[in-house]
Amino acid sequence: MTPHRQIIKTLSTVLFVVVLAACEDVISPTLEPAARILVVDGWIDNQMETQTITLTRTQPYFEAVSPTGVTGAVVSVEDGLGKVYAFVENSAKPGAYEWTPSAVDTLARGESYRLVVTVSGEVFEATSKMGRVPQIDSISFDTDKQLGSGKDITRGEFWATDPLGIGDAYWIRSYKNGIPLLKPSEINIAFDAGLSIGGQTDGVVFIPPVRRRINSNDEDADGVRLSPIISGDSIQVQLHSITTAAFTYLNEVAIQTDRPGGFQELFSTPLANVSTNVVNVNPNGSKAVGFFNVAAVSTAGKRFVP
Amino acid sequence: MFSPVRSHPSVSAPNSAMRLVFTTVLALIILSGFAQEKYTINGTIRDASNGEALIGVTVYVKEIKNGATTNEYGFYSITLPKGTYSVDYSYVGFRLVNLTIELDKNIQQSLELNPDAEQLQEIVVQAEIEQADVHNMEMSTNKLEMKTILRAPTLFGESDLLRTLQLLPGVSTVGEGASGFNVRGGSVGQNLILLDEAPVYNSSHLFGFFSVFNPDAVKDTKLYKGAIPARYGGRLSSILDVRMKEGNSKKFEYTGGIGSVFSRLAVEGPLIKDKASFIIAARRSYIDILARPFVPLLQNGGALNFYDLTLKTNYNINRRNRIYLSGYFGRDVFRFDKTQGFNWGNTTGTLRWNHLFNERLFLNVTAVYSNYEYALQFGKDDRNRFTWNSSISNYIFRPQFTYFINSKNELNFGADATYYTFQPANAQGVTNGEVVDISLDRKYNLETALYVGNSQKVSDWLSLEYGLRYSMFQFYGPGTVYTYGDTIPGIRKPVIGSRTYASGEAIASYNNWEPRASFRLQTSIRSSVKGSYNRMVQYLHLISNTTASNPLDVWNPSSNNIQPQIADQYTLGYFRDLTEDKQYEFSLEGYWRDTRNQIDYIDGADLLVNEFLEGDLLTGIGRSYGLEAYFQKKTGRLNGWVSYTLGRTELKVDGINNNEWYATRFNQLHNLKVAAFYDINKRWSFSADFVFTSGTPTTFPTSRYIQQGILIPYNANDSRNNVELPAYHRLDVSLRLEGKKVKNNGKERKNSDYWMFSLYNVYARRNPFSIYFSQTDQRVPAGQPLQSQATQLSIIGSIVPSVSYNFKF
Repeated sequence: MTPHRQIIKTLSTVLFVVVLAACEDVISPTLEPAARILVVDGWIDNQMETQTITLTRTQPYFEAVSPTGVTGAVVSVEDGLGKVYAFVENSAKPGAYEWTPSAVDTLARGESYRLVVTVSGEVFEATSKMGRVPQIDSISFDTDKQLGSGKDITRGEFWATDPLGIGDAYWIRSYKNGIPLLKPSEINIAFDAGLSIGGQTDGVVFIPPVRRRINSNDEDADGVRLSPIISGDSIQVQLHSITTAAFTYLNEVAIQTDRPGGFQELFSTPLANVSTNVVNVNPNGSKAVGFFNVAAVSTAGKRFVP
Repeated sequence: MFSPVRSHPSVSAPNSAMRLVFTTVLALIILSGFAQEKYTINGTIRDASNGEALIGVTVYVKEIKNGATTNEYGFYSITLPKGTYSVDYSYVGFRLVNLTIELDKNIQQSLELNPDAEQLQEIVVQAEIEQADVHNMEMSTNKLEMKTILRAPTLFGESDLLRTLQLLPGVSTVGEGASGFNVRGGSVGQNLILLDEAPVYNSSHLFGFFSVFNPDAVKDTKLYKGAIPARYGGRLSSILDVRMKEGNSKKFEYTGGIGSVFSRLAVEGPLIKDKASFIIAARRSYIDILARPFVPLLQNGGALNFYDLTLKTNYNINRRNRIYLSGYFGRDVFRFDKTQGFNWGNTTGTLRWNHLFNERLFLNVTAVYSNYEYALQFGKDDRNRFTWNSSISNYIFRPQFTYFINSKNELNFGADATYYTFQPANAQGVTNGEVVDISLDRKYNLETALYVGNSQKVSDWLSLEYGLRYSMFQFYGPGTVYTYGDTIPGIRKPVIGSRTYASGEAIASYNNWEPRASFRLQTSIRSSVKGSYNRMVQYLHLISNTTASNPLDVWNPSSNNIQPQIADQYTLGYFRDLTEDKQYEFSLEGYWRDTRNQIDYIDGADLLVNEFLEGDLLTGIGRSYGLEAYFQKKTGRLNGWVSYTLGRTELKVDGINNNEWYATRFNQLHNLKVAAFYDINKRWSFSADFVFTSGTPTTFPTSRYIQQGILIPYNANDSRNNVELPAYHRLDVSLRLEGKKVKNNGKERKNSDYWMFSLYNVYARRNPFSIYFSQTDQRVPAGQPLQSQATQLSIIGSIVPSVSYNFKF
């Protein structure tokens, strides 16, 4: 997620063109067998809509079907004041546990939360705290000539200022024409207004790489980058507050999943497990993976009309 | 006369260390003065064709069956009782000179040796045939002749020092495109690479495809893998000592070449005949010039090139004083347009003064400046841009004395002081004119060392070399440093405190004793056994957690949180001449190295522009051990070598691999190399090399899971490097065609030239650089299952033909 990744990407493309000798083969190595363990997909927020926590199990790496949901679990979220929000299994969607807020029953900012999941007699817990988010001031578009091809390329950019005080972290989730941008290369996180925890960017306007990584990253069949925005496209940006642990987690996810290959492999870090904040209350019990985060959200959207 | 000095209890460790070292030196000098009536023969040995000092010439005194070799400046000195001696001066590729010397006073005997036309074509890795490996004190050391480098098969037509070095036993790399090299399982950052004594922090151009050393300007290359003399220090696994040519002091000479990537030109010649000379050598890649008509990027201010400039001059003031000035400047430049891009490179400068105090005391004083930096800039204009640069600079002062006590003892002692300035990140983001500075504090360090070492010929069958180095390291303010709390190993450590230091205030300080010792036991006329022990201490750490080392890696000094790395290496070897004529040589060497304070990284470590970097580092212990077998045929129309290394290198770090030992990325169980050179006739010669290595260790996942629509790989066993990539093997061949030696009219040509035709990766094997796991189609409609795949990347997956033309006149 650091700025050099963008540089490296461009550089690797240039190198690839020059050297032309690299090649890639899709292979099918045999992998070690492993137990299927619990996966908690617990990203909820303070929006007035149904909140979902999904429970599944890990699959063998090459298993090409959607994971099956874990049914029959008991899922609840408790806030720091002892109030419990029960997440109820949705029988139509196996593994989905839901809770819908109401005018009197919402998740509050600044509050800490504890997730408790009971599955087959084992109890798993995770904690989070809802941080703050600034308003998004505006979204702008600019059109530029693309490096190399010289084609017009339009990008969106959001404008917001990180509030004073070190330690705010964000996941900037964007949607193009209502479709979430979820490619690993599109994961956009910020710590204060910058890219890393030690980056010293508190209390300022989000720095350019953060502001501009709200765009889709797509290429045509020849590998030429497509303009992320064309006339009539709309873009929606959601600023989600995340904990420092969630920032670290998503940073790890981006490192482990954004593997475009080619010469960029020279700069990639070896495969390693991403962290989790889900722990079994019995240290000798089975492990779990996944993450639980409770976010405050601010939203803005705009349509591009040149 | 002389009484041992006892260190007073109140004397601090560095002081007592200094005293001990100098007391020993003093004692040896004084004691040596009490011998019988003795005289000294000394002088400098040079190449008669160009005046270059010859390093490692054997000076053999028949009467005592013993002698000396010339040092890095071609200087030798032997002290013997009064008498008449028959002395042989020999150096491979040169005609032997025998002198009868009447030693009744001190004699200054400098010589110029004539190249032997017959032998000139031969390839020799180890210099001395007369005093071959079997008889030589050195072990775990390889000398690489330029002749070998210029004949080995090339990649993209460029003869390359580091690429040829990788054919030697114990030297490996993690693959094409990786910067640097690995020695006996050490990391890239554990090699000290010296160019005329200046440390070179990044030895590669274009990631790892080419090294920074211009073959036209290099005279001598020596790699120390073990039994490292006390005068060297600062890195754990090896010292690569590259010495530059001084420049032809007899006549002007132009050397150059045109290859598929570089074109090169070197000019050398006398400034004052036999008194002062110079060499200037330059190279530039020109692929961008050729590609410009086809690549719009290059027409719009973009750039893609790398170049370097190497120069050296020397002045022989008089018999007792000589000065040398040398420098290197190299850059790799990648620019996407006029204002956005990336560049990196090394700059070094070395000033040396050789001084002869008397017939037996030789001094070299070296002052060095060295710098490595990289810079990135992107953004449209000055109001919206991001700039970032990082550098390491150092200033070195190094007096080194050699005292040639007698024909049996040669004493080396001296000091070494290096002042470092680190700029981990100087970075600014500008948004609509508003500047956000995210720079990190500069770091200031001083590394000093005192050393003394003696090489002693105890008897005809036993030689010893022993020494002691005392190194000290200080981390100074100004700056803010942090302390970190304990946590479960493997998790980012929280900052629990910080302290700001004033300028010059000591933040952290370390000191270490580094003993070095080796022996040679002559077991028969044709065989010997050698062994060594050395301790090495490294105060700088190369911070890199990518698959291969790359130009963005930064160096980090030892600090309040990071301890210096320490290695203890033990070696034992057997050396044998297989035939009477010493044509065939065989050696077997075993090594064991224990290391401490080895750095690894938490998963997801953030290494660039991170104020709290040290909270992301883990430390542990390491071990590497192996057996190197080396067979060499030194002369004849067919010559070359076979080297095989069986080795293992592992780390044990709390928080990684369930706290168990794991193989490092550069672990290679088998490493086989064959290099062969064959003279077909006077004009054509053939060479080939073959490499086979076990695949590099890597981590495979076992499982996958989905989080917010993103597919994540998972290793259920939490293991590191749990599998090996498929083995790497490759064959390269080349043909070299010498230009005609005589003109059509029968006259000898003044200039010489040759063509080099190479095929790299002859059978086009797709050697894996890495295997990575990813989500197949990343824009999946809601409800569709996500697909995953494994991809094997080969950096060079096809045969690479190349041609180059090289000339000299």
